[in-house]
Amino acid sequence: MTPKKVLCIEDEQFISEMYARALTKAGYEVSVEFDGASGLKAAQTNQFDIILLDLMIPTMTGIEVLRHLRDTSETPNLKSKIIITTNLEQREDVRADIERQADGYVVKAELTPRELVAFLEKLN
Amino acid sequence: MNDLDKLAVQTRWFLALLVGFENLALVSWLYIAWQLDLSGYILWPGIAAIVLIGGLFVALIGGHQVLKPIRTVWQAVLHISPTDHGVVAPDLQKLHYGRELLVNLIGQIYQLNNIASSQASADQLEKTDLKNDFVATNMPLPLVVLDANEIIVFINSAATKYLQKSAEELIGNSIYSVLDMSFPNEHTFDLWLNDVKMNNVTAQNSWERVRFGLADQHSLQFDLSAYYNKDNSRGYETMLVLFDHTEQYSQDDQAVSFIALAVHELRTPLTLLRGYIETFQDEFSGKLDDELSTFMHRMAASGEQLAAFVNNILNVARVEDDQLTLELHEESVKDVISGAVDNYILRAKVRGIDLECNIAEDLPTAALDRVSAYEIVGNLIDNAIKYAGNSNKIIVSAVQNNEHLIEISVQDSGVGIPTNVVPNLFTKFYRNHRNRAQIGGTGLGLYLCKALVTAHSGHIWVRSEEGKGSVFSFTVLPYSQLADELKSGNNKDITRSAHGWIKNHSMYRS
Repeated sequence: MTPKKVLCIEDEQFISEMYARALTKAGYEVSVEFDGASGLKAAQTNQFDIILLDLMIPTMTGIEVLRHLRDTSETPNLKSKIIITTNLEQREDVRADIERQADGYVVKAELTPRELVAFLEKLN
Repeated sequence: MNDLDKLAVQTRWFLALLVGFENLALVSWLYIAWQLDLSGYILWPGIAAIVLIGGLFVALIGGHQVLKPIRTVWQAVLHISPTDHGVVAPDLQKLHYGRELLVNLIGQIYQLNNIASSQASADQLEKTDLKNDFVATNMPLPLVVLDANEIIVFINSAATKYLQKSAEELIGNSIYSVLDMSFPNEHTFDLWLNDVKMNNVTAQNSWERVRFGLADQHSLQFDLSAYYNKDNSRGYETMLVLFDHTEQYSQDDQAVSFIALAVHELRTPLTLLRGYIETFQDEFSGKLDDELSTFMHRMAASGEQLAAFVNNILNVARVEDDQLTLELHEESVKDVISGAVDNYILRAKVRGIDLECNIAEDLPTAALDRVSAYEIVGNLIDNAIKYAGNSNKIIVSAVQNNEHLIEISVQDSGVGIPTNVVPNLFTKFYRNHRNRAQIGGTGLGLYLCKALVTAHSGHIWVRSEEGKGSVFSFTVLPYSQLADELKSGNNKDITRSAHGWIKNHSMYRS
C-alpha cells in the first residue's frame, strides 16, 4: 500500500518538525511548507491525501489558502482532506464557518502528536 | 359600468316617471273637466275657465313642490356620478319641506360615495402584483416576502442575485428550507416570528451578523430587518430586507482580540512542551529510574494543567462576552465522568492522590455538553487536588437524587473552607485569603463551573468543614426531561440553530 501523503502548512518550525516526525513514524509521507503562498502552490501542484493547514501563517492566511483550495474554478480536482490545525481562538460562529469549509479542525495545544495521528487515522 | 353609474341611470328613469306623473295630473284635470262637460253650461264658462286655469296652476306648482326633494336627491346622485360631469351640488338651503330629512339622506349618499371610492382605490392596489411593482422589483436591496405559512411568495432580483439562487428555487418554498440562516444568539428570526404571530398585529425587528452559507461553502453575512403585518389581504404577511456586510464582518472576524492573541502565544509553546513530553515518555519509558520517571510525570501533569488553565481563561472570556453556547446531547454520565477523571489521574498521582469513581449503576442518560461537563468535573477535581492538604483520596460520585436530577459530587478530605467564605466561592477572582499565600490559583475555576452548570439548568453548591474537607456537588437534567421540554417547545432557552437544537446560556452572569 502506498503511504498516504500529507502536506503540513505551518510556520512554526518546531511544530512542523514534531508533526512530521510523528506522522512519518506512523507511515505517512510528509511535506512541509512554511507560508500560505507556497503551501497553496504545493497543494495545487501535487495531490495530497491530507493537508494540515495552520491559520496564522505568513504571505497568505490559512483562511485565504482554504478559500483558494475550495474554489473549484481554481483547484478543480482537489481530493485532499483539509484539516485546520491552529492555536488561534475564534468566535464560535467564525469557527463554525471555517469548519464547514474544512474536513476537520483541531487546536494544536489540545492534541499531542500521537492524538493527531489517531485523529487522521479516523478520517476515512 | 359601476354601481354608481347604475344608480344615476335608475335615478334618471325615476325622475322621468315623476315628470310624467306631473303632466298626468294636468291631463287628468282636463279630462275631468271634459267628462263633466263644464263647457256645456253657458252660465258657467267663466267659472269653468277659472277652475281650469286654477287647476292647471295647482297641478304645476304643487307637482313641482312635491317633487322638489326627489329632484334634489337626484341632483346629488348625478353630482357624484363619475360619468355625469358638470352637474352642480344641490343647494339644500332652497328646500322648504322636509329639509332635515333630506340633508340627512343626501349626507348618507355622499358618505356611501366616499366608502365606494376608497374601496375602489383599494381594489386598484389589490390588483397590483409585486412582480409588476417597479420599486419592489428593482430596489437595490434584497427583499423577500412571506405569506402566513412562511412560504416565499416574492423575491426581488437583488435577493436572487445575492443569495445565488433562482426565483424558481425560492418561491413557493418555506423560508426555513431554502434560507437556513444562523444567528449569533438565541434571538432568532423564527422565534420572533412565532411570537409576533401570537401577540401582534404589526411588528418590526432587526438582527445583526446573520449568516447564510452559500452552495460553494462561502458564507454571506448580513443584517436583517423584518416587518410583520397580520392577515395582509394580499398574503404579504412578512417582509424581509437584507443588508449585506459580508466583507466588513469577515474583517471583524479576522481581527484578533487581546485574549485570543495571548492564548495563541501561550498555546504555541504548550503544543511543543506537550508534544515533546509525549515523545520522551514514549521513548524513555522503562529506561528511566524512579526519580526521573516521577519528574517526567510531573512535567506531563503540568503541561495538562496549563492547557486546562488556558481553556478556563477562554471560557471565562466567552461567558463575559455572551459567546459561549452549549449543545446538549444525550450522554452516559459514566462515560463523561470517566473521561474527565482520566485527564486528572496523572495530576493526582504526581501529588500522591488516588482518584476514585463511584457512579450508580442505574443512572439514566443525562443532557450534557460533553466538553463543558469535562470542564466542570475537571475544575472541581483540580480544586480538590490543590486543597487536598495531607489527604490522599478524592471521590467522584454520581447518583439520581430524590428530585430525579442527576447529582455529581467531588469529595475531598482536605483543608476545607471556612463557613464565612462559602457564599463568595462562586464569584470571579474570589479566593480564600488565608490560602492565597500557600496555594496558587486564579479564582476563575468555580466561577466558570457555576456558569456552565447554570447553563445546563442545574445548581452547584458546597458542603464543607474546616480541617475535614469539602464536597462540591452539582445537578444536571436527565436526558428524558430535556427531551420532554424540547417536545413541548415551551422552553425559550432552547433554540434552533443550523446545527440542530442548542441551548444558549449567554445570559448567565452570576
